[in-house]
Amino acid sequence: MKSLAKLFTLMFISVLLLVACAPATEAPTEMPATEAPATEMPATEMPATEAPATGAATGSCPLPAEEGATIVFSGWGDETEQQIYRDSIERFGNVCPGVTVEYQPVPDKFQDKLKAQMAGGTAPDVFYVDDQLMNAFAPSGQLLALDEYMTQAGVSREDFIPALLTIFTQDGQTYGLPKDWGTLGLVYLPEAFQAAGVDEPTEAWTWEDMRTAAKAIADTGQYGGFCMGADWARFAPFVFSNGGSFASDDFTTATLDTPEVKEMATFVGDMYSEGSLVKPADVGASWCGEAIGKKLVGMTTEGGWMVNFMKQSYADVEWKALQIPNGPVTRADVIFTNAIGVNAATQYPNAAAAFAIYLTGEENQGEIVKTGFAYSTHPAQADLVVDPNDLAISSGGLLEDTRVAFWGPNTGKVNDAVSQALDRIFLGDQTVDEAFAQAQAEAQAALGSQ
Amino acid sequence: MTTNDPQGSAIRSSRTPVAIAAFFVVVIILMTIALFNAPTMGGPRVMATASTYLAEVRRTALPFLGAVALLSIVLGLVAARTIYREWPHPRRRHNLIMGYLFLSPYLLITLTFTVGVVLFAFYISFNNYDIFTPPEWTGLDNYAKAFRGFTNPAEKDFLQSLHNVLWYSLIVVPTQTALAILLAVLLNARIRFKQLFRTIFYAPSVTSSVVITLIFMWFYLKTGYINFFIAKSLGIFGLSWENINWLGDPRGLIQLIVEAFGGRIPSAQWYLRGPSIAWMAIMFQNIFTTAPTFMIMFLAALQDINPTLYEAASIDGANAWQQFRKITLPLLRPIILLVVVLGTIGTLQVFDQVYLATSGGPLGTSLTPVYIVFREALGILGPINMGYASALAFILALLIFFFTFLQRRFIERGTELY
Repeated sequence: MKSLAKLFTLMFISVLLLVACAPATEAPTEMPATEAPATEMPATEMPATEAPATGAATGSCPLPAEEGATIVFSGWGDETEQQIYRDSIERFGNVCPGVTVEYQPVPDKFQDKLKAQMAGGTAPDVFYVDDQLMNAFAPSGQLLALDEYMTQAGVSREDFIPALLTIFTQDGQTYGLPKDWGTLGLVYLPEAFQAAGVDEPTEAWTWEDMRTAAKAIADTGQYGGFCMGADWARFAPFVFSNGGSFASDDFTTATLDTPEVKEMATFVGDMYSEGSLVKPADVGASWCGEAIGKKLVGMTTEGGWMVNFMKQSYADVEWKALQIPNGPVTRADVIFTNAIGVNAATQYPNAAAAFAIYLTGEENQGEIVKTGFAYSTHPAQADLVVDPNDLAISSGGLLEDTRVAFWGPNTGKVNDAVSQALDRIFLGDQTVDEAFAQAQAEAQAALGSQ
Repeated sequence: MTTNDPQGSAIRSSRTPVAIAAFFVVVIILMTIALFNAPTMGGPRVMATASTYLAEVRRTALPFLGAVALLSIVLGLVAARTIYREWPHPRRRHNLIMGYLFLSPYLLITLTFTVGVVLFAFYISFNNYDIFTPPEWTGLDNYAKAFRGFTNPAEKDFLQSLHNVLWYSLIVVPTQTALAILLAVLLNARIRFKQLFRTIFYAPSVTSSVVITLIFMWFYLKTGYINFFIAKSLGIFGLSWENINWLGDPRGLIQLIVEAFGGRIPSAQWYLRGPSIAWMAIMFQNIFTTAPTFMIMFLAALQDINPTLYEAASIDGANAWQQFRKITLPLLRPIILLVVVLGTIGTLQVFDQVYLATSGGPLGTSLTPVYIVFREALGILGPINMGYASALAFILALLIFFFTFLQRRFIERGTELY
């Protein structure tokens, strides 16, 4: 009896295993497809590996480094990004042969790990800095001010795209050099425009034009109109192009209950209720880029990451991109950026600063931009972007009124308040006035606590 | 051992210096542990020599050491008093010294890595501490900040998280306990393939909660399996089903009921809305994974029940339900207490599902105290706020203590009858 039961258990387990393996081959079309794009990235297909580090190093070492300096460099990133930085380190080795760079990539939970390392005194000498790390490290003096080293190396703040340095400046000192950046462009599916019988977008488009087309596309019933989640980053270009902002320039006052913000919130809220705007979850996508790839929506705003994503996951889908549309007051985009910073406790400040300056310098940035991985942080190199869609998206970042959504140490809380307000509006839970009055109070509580 | 001790008077006179020595040993051990747990920066520069470390301690940790010094003097006095009393009795003296000697390896490790850290956290909860600069004394500010949501709705996060976990406990604990008893009783009955069913039922508990959460995230998608299944099942009866984004829907249970009758609960009264759909989806997943763990406990307890009790009852004409009500349940009471207490502690501390699936959203309806502790301690949304995080952790610990105390009083009192 007992052995019979055991036999049945074994059989059941093997049946379970077979069942678990089966759906991959015979999944019905209604089954949810939920692949995570990041895990599938084949590093070998990336152009980065095809372009080996050029031995033709033209420059000399930015700074006279210490004898026999060994510095540790750390950042996040998948295999592709790691290869790009390995190549960069090799190029740096050619111009500063005396310095040894040890690369320690941390693909996951980089910020958490770095804060713990910093508190324990074992942080790397040079590392990626984003707004979160800037807020954690700069006020307590954990980052090296780079201005003197920059002067010595002949590098100036004016060499960089101005909006990028906002995050990494504190009390007039520069604590990080922008390593790359991203922005949003209007990404669309030409076949959706054909199906709806409307003209494809042009450079002259305004948000109103976008709305008219989105309505026409949604009316076909085949595609969603414009895809946008309840997300502060996607909402920021609307606000910036209406002359608005989330907080005052000194980061002390929230400005979420201003007409500039509320007009645009009404605009997207109305689009949602008329059905021309959909959230990615509404159409069964985890983000709007995937909704374009799956041909579920006609338009969205996404960034340069679309280029590689579409190549890898939806190579046969035709898509196009343009600069972000015109707003009621101006044309403005939102910019995302990260920097390279130096640990204030480094043993080799000259070597570390030289490495940070080299990584973000024109020579190295010119090489990285060629891989299609990231945009150069130098305005002069803006036209080096290879892919035409990518070039169109990136042009929004150079507009005069484009800015970062950075509001000081409590940036995360302010932005979160905006996302939640949009969520409440989309849900029909609150009116625009109520939602942004609440967001204003929440953001003000966060800003006031500092 | 005999009590006939020729050296008794000599020992009696030496108990004062021994008591003084005990005092200093306790103080020195505690101060050393405090020194290791001081809020300093680490790293090669600081840790290079003892003097560089002490310089760092002087810079950042003097108030902390002062606080621990007060505590260690109190504990040292207690130790000295005990020694002073026990010393004249050779047997008790022997037991005392040997006992602590045997305990000392474990005791020192626990004191350093558990008690020391808790003391540190307790001290930090009265400070403003960003883990880089020396702690800054702020008194009870952090504790007051936790409850500031009562007066300023913009700072409702912690209150909302408490509200969420209370609903969570209220629904998850009774359901999973009842389900565990039901499963255990079924598996204890004389049925075929008992082992097979035990394996199947227990499988969710041995699977990692991270894996289960990821699988459930796919199930819960708007285009996921659960919506698909419900739509197909309802389709058989010709009913339609509007897909729900389970993990992204902040509408509350009470809110849905009120709205069905045409009422409305505004967003400002979030505390009246009940648990959100997203939160209930996580509850369901939690019940699914923990009920089988407790089932094993009940199964073990069931097998301890004397079968003659059932025999006698059936001779007296009791039916199966009466036997369950009058014999099984009363005899399971101690285990029910254990399961309810463990369940409550576990639910009040829920974290991993939230961290993986929702990050506290939508609209804060799945925020939990532990998630906020994590968020503040690591500075996910703002500056690192270790002091505030510690204060929240202590408030949560007090709350768990309070609920456990209540449960012991109510459930354990009942068990004494049997």
